[in-house]
Amino acid sequence: MTSNGTLIVLMGFLFLFLGYMGVPVAFALMASVIVVTMFTPVSQASMIAQLFNGMDVEALLAVPFFLLVGDLMTSANVTVRMIALSQTLVGHWRGGLAQVVTLFSMFFAGISGSSAADVAVLSRTLAPEMGREGYDKGFTAALIASAATMANLIPPSIMAVVYGATGNVSIGGLFLGGVVPGLVVGFGLMIYSHFFGPVGVKRMRATPAAIATATKAAAIPLMIPLIIMGGILTGKFTPTEAGVIAVAYIVLVVIPLLNFGHLKNLPRDMAMTGLLYSIPLITIGAASMFGWMLAYLRGPAMVSEWLSQLAGGDPFIIMLLLVGLFVIVGDFIDAIPAIIIFMPLIIDLTKNADINPVHMGVVIIVTLAFGLITPPYGLCLLMSAKFVGIKFSRAMLASLPIYLVFFGAIAFTIFFPEVVLWLPRKLLPQSVGCFANPNGSGYICP
Amino acid sequence: MRFDRLVLQEQRHLKWRALDWLENLLMILCGIAISGFCLLVLGDIITRAIGRPWLWVQEATMTFFIYGIFSGVAAATRRNDHLYLAVLAESLSGNRRLFFEIFNRLVVLAVAFCMIYFGYLNFLDGFKSLRMPSMTPIATLYAAIPLCGALVALFIVEQVVNGWRNGFPDKPAEEQRIPL
Repeated sequence: MTSNGTLIVLMGFLFLFLGYMGVPVAFALMASVIVVTMFTPVSQASMIAQLFNGMDVEALLAVPFFLLVGDLMTSANVTVRMIALSQTLVGHWRGGLAQVVTLFSMFFAGISGSSAADVAVLSRTLAPEMGREGYDKGFTAALIASAATMANLIPPSIMAVVYGATGNVSIGGLFLGGVVPGLVVGFGLMIYSHFFGPVGVKRMRATPAAIATATKAAAIPLMIPLIIMGGILTGKFTPTEAGVIAVAYIVLVVIPLLNFGHLKNLPRDMAMTGLLYSIPLITIGAASMFGWMLAYLRGPAMVSEWLSQLAGGDPFIIMLLLVGLFVIVGDFIDAIPAIIIFMPLIIDLTKNADINPVHMGVVIIVTLAFGLITPPYGLCLLMSAKFVGIKFSRAMLASLPIYLVFFGAIAFTIFFPEVVLWLPRKLLPQSVGCFANPNGSGYICP
Repeated sequence: MRFDRLVLQEQRHLKWRALDWLENLLMILCGIAISGFCLLVLGDIITRAIGRPWLWVQEATMTFFIYGIFSGVAAATRRNDHLYLAVLAESLSGNRRLFFEIFNRLVVLAVAFCMIYFGYLNFLDGFKSLRMPSMTPIATLYAAIPLCGALVALFIVEQVVNGWRNGFPDKPAEEQRIPL
């Protein structure tokens, strides 16, 4: 009988080998699990059922809605109003367009949960203008990719939805917990661009009247974050319902008011988003097969035991070790399968070290967001390099100094749980384990 | 709006025109699925707010959701739109490229056959469990797996046959207009 360790290594090797040969991720995951299942008493039919069970989760319904929100906003070209607003606010700073990229990404992150949509918008709109103003193309690609990662931190975030749905952690808590690290990355990128980025073209400071006009023009799309978070925080909607309300708002209010002619393209947008959401979701199903088999082979338990021994039960060291693991994992596989595959390990370590599940979730999400700009599989950097029209290696070199911003954000998230959890504790106390005070008003938080 | 525009024209040399209608249909199903569950979730919120909730809505929503995913997976296979870790084959040429392209597709084909066979076993097993509140067998949802497997297998065979005949690298625009 083959040992569990050998089977885990075989499964991991097969997945990476097939994946890097060019087999689609979902099929590479399924193929590796199907092969390994042959060496276990588990039936193949039950593994295929696991593919289905991995997707049959109600919370995952939010994924297509947040993709649809980003796609509709991009396709209807409504985002230009938010870019114009960013330009009036920070366009006159040193490295004006670089600052605009970051500020716009912060706005857009509050609307869309997808980094890919952010990269697509910025590459199409601001990258050509940055080229004309003499910004280095490597810097442009690196900055766009780095700024786009904020879509996974600032709510709504698809990574948070997947993490919450598979790890049974409050999605609302993860949304709120991601705000502070998202802002740390955003302000970090602005500071970096100010001191170390290209100077760009010096612009006049926008007049208060111009700022007011741009704010008014962008007000309708900027209502979307309020609708999403307002609905979740007041307890009126689940994240899935908040997503659909945001879609309805875009279809019934934003597009008719701001780009009426685009309504005729809605059926096409729906078909394209329908296709787009199936791709991450089949990967989620396949990753849950992989994760199930890994758990069956006691992989997470073995690693968890080993990491706990190494860390001696210290929660900060455990988080640092997990960050190290996810930096490596995030370099090779996509964030969503990584979350699902390693979820049993994360749950085990969170429980053993008595770490707040929302805090752990935010740490993992920030680390995986960083993985979107690291080689060889930095999805955002790959996309931005392709759109800007440069080699990946050039974009990667330009992004190296930006890694410091992410290291700072990850360290901040690990070592300042009180700051990270401040918003969830204030606005959604139950999400972080607080309970109503039996002797009076307010909540008691552990 | 003409829905035949939903057929992706890239890598035309790997596609049979005879199957274009199927890609078109799958894309339309994707659109219907996402629109369907958008409307159902919206309907759920409204009916709950007015105190007359639809009890069947969650079941119907999941049906649209699951069928949408499997339709999308099949369409993404024909359009080569899946998520990849690396596209090593595209940087190669000649026989090496042919080997990688065919090897990768054979792996997908093997997985597709597993989806058909083991998915069918699950489908049969699904008649023993019922979905609430409609009491429909869960087999109605499990059916999506072998169906998707069959479509993926069909599209992979299409790509392998055409790739073997015409080569896998993208043809220049002029050549792409030649009907296959």
